[in-house]
Amino acid sequence: MDILIIVAFIAGYVLIALEHPIRINKTATAILTGVVCWTLFVFMDPGPALLESKAFSDFRALLSIEHTQQDIAAMTPDEMHHEFVGYELNEHLAAIAQILFFLLGAMTIVELVDAHRGFRYITDRIQTRNPRTLLWIICFVTFFLSSILDNLTTSIVMVSLIRKLIHDKEMRLTFAGMIVIAANAGGAWTPIGDVTTTMLWIGGQISTGSIMTSLFIPSLVCLLVPVLFLGFRLKGKILDTADSAHQATEVKGGRLMLFLGIGALVSVPVFKTVTHLPPYLGMLCGLGVLWVVSEVLHPELDEVAKKNYTVAGALSRVDVPSVLFFLGILLAVGSLESMQVLNQFAAYLDRSLGDQRIIITLIGLLSAVVDNVPLVAASMGMYSLNTFPMDHMIWEYLAYCAGTGGSILIIGSAAGVAVMGMEKVDFIWYLKKISFLALLGYVGGALAYVLIKG
Amino acid sequence: MELLIVAVFVAGYLLIALEHPIRINKTATALLTGVVCWTIFTLSGPTESLQHSAEYSELAEKAHLVGPGVADDMEVHREYVIHSLREHLAEIAEILFFLMGAMTIVELVDSHRGFKLVTDRIRTTNAKTLLWVICWVTFFLSAILDNLTTTIVMVSLTRKLVANRDTRLFFAGLIVVAANAGGAWSPIGDVTTTMLWIGGQITASSIIKSLFIPSVACMLVPLIFLSFTMKGKLGEGKTSGHDEKTPGTANLMLVVGVGALISVPIFKTLTHLPPYLGMMLGLGVLWVVSEIVNPDLDESEKKHFTAVHALSRIDMPSVLFFLGILLAVASLQSMHLLQDFAVYLNDTLGDNRVIITLIGMLSAIVDNVPLVAASMGMYSMDVYPPDHLIWEYLAYCAGTGGSMLVIGSAAGVAAMGMEKIDFIWYLKRITLLAAMGYFAGAAVYLFITHV
Repeated sequence: MDILIIVAFIAGYVLIALEHPIRINKTATAILTGVVCWTLFVFMDPGPALLESKAFSDFRALLSIEHTQQDIAAMTPDEMHHEFVGYELNEHLAAIAQILFFLLGAMTIVELVDAHRGFRYITDRIQTRNPRTLLWIICFVTFFLSSILDNLTTSIVMVSLIRKLIHDKEMRLTFAGMIVIAANAGGAWTPIGDVTTTMLWIGGQISTGSIMTSLFIPSLVCLLVPVLFLGFRLKGKILDTADSAHQATEVKGGRLMLFLGIGALVSVPVFKTVTHLPPYLGMLCGLGVLWVVSEVLHPELDEVAKKNYTVAGALSRVDVPSVLFFLGILLAVGSLESMQVLNQFAAYLDRSLGDQRIIITLIGLLSAVVDNVPLVAASMGMYSLNTFPMDHMIWEYLAYCAGTGGSILIIGSAAGVAVMGMEKVDFIWYLKKISFLALLGYVGGALAYVLIKG
Repeated sequence: MELLIVAVFVAGYLLIALEHPIRINKTATALLTGVVCWTIFTLSGPTESLQHSAEYSELAEKAHLVGPGVADDMEVHREYVIHSLREHLAEIAEILFFLMGAMTIVELVDSHRGFKLVTDRIRTTNAKTLLWVICWVTFFLSAILDNLTTTIVMVSLTRKLVANRDTRLFFAGLIVVAANAGGAWSPIGDVTTTMLWIGGQITASSIIKSLFIPSVACMLVPLIFLSFTMKGKLGEGKTSGHDEKTPGTANLMLVVGVGALISVPIFKTLTHLPPYLGMMLGLGVLWVVSEIVNPDLDESEKKHFTAVHALSRIDMPSVLFFLGILLAVASLQSMHLLQDFAVYLNDTLGDNRVIITLIGMLSAIVDNVPLVAASMGMYSMDVYPPDHLIWEYLAYCAGTGGSMLVIGSAAGVAAMGMEKIDFIWYLKRITLLAAMGYFAGAAVYLFITHV
C-alpha cells in the first residue's frame, strides 16, 4: 500500500510537470493527487513502522486525554487507524491553512498597492536600462531582504517590482527564477529568514552568531554562481516601455498605500514577536488596515470607478488557483509524511550511505521534490544533540542544504510556488532554464561551506 | 480583559451591521475584529474561570511536567492560546475550503449553462407558486445534503429564475430559513444535529419523528406570511435567457457537478475523511472534465469555460469575511466565555426549555457548534437519557435559531456572499419572519411532546 501511494504521488507529479503538453491544469491534478493519497492512506493497513513511530505515540497520548481507557480498549484497529488519519490530516490542514492565508493576505496587499501604482515610487528610482546591472541589483536586494523578511513575502514584493520594470516576458521569467534562488539563499543564513533555519534555531541545534558567520559566504556563493553565469549569457534589452508606464496618471494615495503596504509586510515579524501569534494573523491584520484605508481614501469616486482600488477588486486578481494548487500539493506531501515514508527514507539513507555530508546534500536535493519542513524535522529526530552538539557541522550544513536545495525545482520552495502563481512560470520552462543554474549555485555553496570548515 | 474582548467583539459586530452607512467593507472589519480579539487574549493573562477549565489545567500540567524547566504562567497561557488557535484554524479551514470548492463547482456548472436545464423545467411565472416550490425543494434537499451546499445550489437556481433583484433577495432569505429548518430534523442534515447524533444524545428515527413537524412549521409560518405580503414580480430575465445558446456540454457538466455535490456525504461515509476533501475531489474531477470537453474551442473562447475563470468569479471577500468572524467567535470560545454564559443562564433561569430557547436565539449571533458543545457538557447523559426532550429541543433550537440573522448560520453567510445581502436589509425584512417560524416550531414541538 505504501508503494501505491508513492506511485500515485509520482504520477501526480509527472502530470503536474507535463501540464502544458497534456493540457490539464496543474491545480486539478494537484487537488486530485492530494485527495487520492489520503484516501489510499485511510484504506491501508498500518505497518509496524507507522505504529511504532513518534507521531503515533503522540496521537495515543492525546487520545488518552480525550477518551477513557475502556473506550480506547474497545476500539478496533481499523477505528484506531481512522482516528489517527483524521488527527494527522487535521494537524496538516492547520499548518497548510496558515501558509495559504498568509499567502492570500500578502498577495492581496501587493495587488492593492499595485492598483494604486504605489510601486512606481520605487521603480522610478531604478534608472538603469542595462539588464545585467538590473539583475545584480534585484538579486542583491532580494538576498538581503529575504534574510529579514520571509522568503515568500520577499519573492512576492520583488516579482511585483520587476513586473513594472521588465516588459519582455522571457526576460522577466528569467528574473523571476533568479529571485527564487536569491530569496532561498538569503533566507538560509539568518535564523529568521527561513522556516527550516528557524526550526533548527528554536530547537537549539544552531546559535544565531555562529550560523550567520558560517553560512553567509556559502549562501552568497549559492547566489553568485548563477548570477555570474547568467550575467555572461543574458542578452536582450529592457525596453523603454517602462517609460510609457511612467506617463500613466498618478493615483491618489499611491505613496500612502506603498508605505502602508510595506509597513504591513515588515510588521508581520514584529507582530509575531510581540504577540507570539502565528504570522498569518499579522498579515490579515495588515490587510484589514489597508482595506479600511483604501475604502476611505476615495470618497469622491462612484462605486464603479472605486472598484479598481478596493480590496474586492484586488482579490479578484489574486491567483486563487495557485492557492488551491498549494493546498493539493501540500496535502499530498503531508500524506507521505504521516505515513512515515519520508522518515523511513531519511533513515534508509543514513544506514546505507554513512557519510553525513553526502546524506545531507541528498536531503537538500530531495527538498526540491517534497516539503523541506518534514525533511528537517526527520533529520532533527535522526541525529541526537548528545552526539552532535550545538553548532556542529551537520546542523549548519543541514540549514544550508534544506534552505537552498528547494530552488532546483519551481515547486520545491514556497518562494517558487508564489512566483509560479504570479508570473505563470511553467514547470518545464523552469526545469530547462533555471534548474541547472540553481543546481550550480547549490553545489558551489556546498563546496564553499565544506572548504571553509576544512 | 474579558470585558474588553467582549466590547471589541460587539463593536466589530456593530460595524459589520452598519457596513453600508459607514462605508467600510464588512470583511475588513471582520478580519480586524478576529485578529484584535486573539491579540488581546494572548497578551492578557488567563482569567480565573479559564484557569479552572479542564483543557487549560491539562495543558498547564503537561507543561510543568515535560517543559524545559518550570514554565511560568504566561508561557503556559501562550501555549494554550497557540494550541487552541491551531485547533480552530483547522476547523475554519475545513469550512472555507468546502465553501470554496462548492462555490467553484456551482460557478463552473453555471458558466456551461447547466442550470438552464433545470430552470427550463420550472414554467411557472407566478412568484408565489415559485416561492413554494423553491422552499419545499430546499427543505428536503437540505435534509440530505448539508445546509451550505443546499443554499448555494438553490440560490444559483433563483438567480436564473428571478430577474427582479428585490424579489430575489426575499427568495434568498427564505432559502436560508428553509435550509436551516430542513437540516434540523435529520441527523445528517445539520452539523449540530449530527453532533448530538454522534454523541449518542439522540437516535436517528426518534429525532426524525419528533422534529419533522416542528421543522415544517418553522418554514411554513414565514412562507405563508410572505405569500400574503409579497407583491414582487419575477421579472423578464428568465425568458430572454432562453434565447442564449446552450453549449453542448451543459448536460454533462450539470450531471457531473450535481453528482460531485451529492457524493460528498458518500465519500465521507466510505473514507471517514472530512467533507472538504470530498468536495475537492469533486472539484478536481469536474475541473479535468471541463478541460477536455471543449477541445474544439481556441484558448480565448475556452477561457470562459475553465475552472480558473470560475475561481476568479467566486466571492473571495466572503471567504475572508467568514475567516475573520469565525476567528473572533473562536476567541470567545477559547476563553470559555460561551460556556460560562451557558452555565450562567442555567444557574439563573432554571427551566431547561427557556434556557434552550435562548441558546437557539444566541446561535444567531455566535456559532451554534460551541453552544451545542457547551450544552452537551452542561447536562449529563445520566440525568437526561438519549432522546430526552432537552436533546431534541436543543437540536431544533440550535439548528433553526441561526436563521434570525444573516450571519447567524453558514447558509446565511453563503447566501450573503452570493447575493450581496445587506445585514440591515435582512434584519428588516427576514428576521421577523424567521423569528415567527422559530417560535412557531418551538411551540409546536413543546405542544406535541406534552400531549
